Amino acid sequence: MDTAGTELVVEGLWLMVIGMTIVYAFLMMLVGFLTLMSKAVARWAPAESLPAIPPAAAPTAPATGDARLGAVISAAIQAHRTRHRP
Amino acid sequence: MDAILTLWQSTGIANVTWRELLMLLVGVGLIYLAIAKRFEPLLLLPIGFGAILSNIPVAGMAGPEGMIGMIYHVGVETGVFPLLIFLGVGALTDFSALIARPSTLLLGAAAQFGIFATLIGALALNLLPGFNFSLADAAAIGIIGGADGPTAIFLASRLAPDLLGAIAVAAYSYMALVPIIQPPIMRALTTKAERSVVMEQLRPVSRLERILFPFAVLFLCALLLPSAAPLIGMLTLGNLLRESGVVERLNRAAQNEIINVVTMLLGLAIGSKLSGELFLTTQTLGILVLGAIAFAIGTAAGVLMGKLMCRLTGGKVNPLIGAAGVSAVPMAARVVNKVGLAENHHNFLLMHAMGPNVAGVIGSAVAAGVLLALVGP
Repeated sequence: MDTAGTELVVEGLWLMVIGMTIVYAFLMMLVGFLTLMSKAVARWAPAESLPAIPPAAAPTAPATGDARLGAVISAAIQAHRTRHRP
Repeated sequence: MDAILTLWQSTGIANVTWRELLMLLVGVGLIYLAIAKRFEPLLLLPIGFGAILSNIPVAGMAGPEGMIGMIYHVGVETGVFPLLIFLGVGALTDFSALIARPSTLLLGAAAQFGIFATLIGALALNLLPGFNFSLADAAAIGIIGGADGPTAIFLASRLAPDLLGAIAVAAYSYMALVPIIQPPIMRALTTKAERSVVMEQLRPVSRLERILFPFAVLFLCALLLPSAAPLIGMLTLGNLLRESGVVERLNRAAQNEIINVVTMLLGLAIGSKLSGELFLTTQTLGILVLGAIAFAIGTAAGVLMGKLMCRLTGGKVNPLIGAAGVSAVPMAARVVNKVGLAENHHNFLLMHAMGPNVAGVIGSAVAAGVLLALVGP
């Protein structure tokens, strides 16, 4: 019984080695696959990633806020000047 | 006089055994945990009530002719219920964190180590008297370490139907205990500097990528591991319903009605497996202990893999997110976020932890497929 028990544990160890190898192999292939997919999408279907470009300008997001404000202010000044020119 | 005697013999009091009484108490205990402690109430409440109904003497509700017995037969024995839940999980899950940083899949893989370590632990328990786990039993117990309820139930219903009750209860109660089990392990294995690593923001993911993702996963699964196809297939179908954006009604049904109805029926059916003869054994106690160990080892393996990735990327990865590699979506990711915030109040790791978190779902489904292929009938 005892030897049968240890045999079973050894079998479990094998299962662990094989199991973890397959899990790792599978997920690593998925990593490669997903990376390829993302590259392909970025290359062949850039139209899809177009909506992503305005957020890519996000680093300047506070600036765009300022720019918009600036635009509004200058437009207001412009309007004021044209109205008060005569 | 005879009539009164017959009537007496048909009452619950005359027929109840100590085992049934004890299991009624277990059922009440589970309902108490669900209502008062809010431990996974969605499942523990129906499970507890199922346990109560199934242990009512004479009624035989869990028997082959009983209502709950039939639900079990239709939904759990066939594996249909856990798969339908996986459909809902797919519809509820946003995989963009994973698509934006695929390398986090490796963290989800590492956390599956808990499954296999527990499998060996279960086999080692055989050396003690009172335990007699076969390889299939041990595999079903190990999957608790995957921290994924539906996967655990699916695998247990295939490999060890007798242990299903104990395994399901262990899997779901430990999932509720994730916020208690994980943080000490995470803190013990990482330094303060590692915990406060700030990760760079994830890139935005296009809609096309999100639509292609389910096909990528399913394609690999079909190619390499068809035994995981039921789980992965339903998960990816649910996700496609979500991301395609053209079947909003089906998407909403999968996210709400289907998953809710199935959760309730599944809970009742599992509760019926909490019958005295099957549950009150030393094996159950062993399963409960092994389940906790499984979670701890899975968390540790994930964090260690996170540390490795931190080294390899020159400190761009916060090792804490490895702990989210045990599935338990989204609880594990929230725990990571909380532990990270404790070090640095401005370091929000939630989105970064969602990557390994959903990778863990795929990882445990893959591990289940491996176990099915290797020790399945």
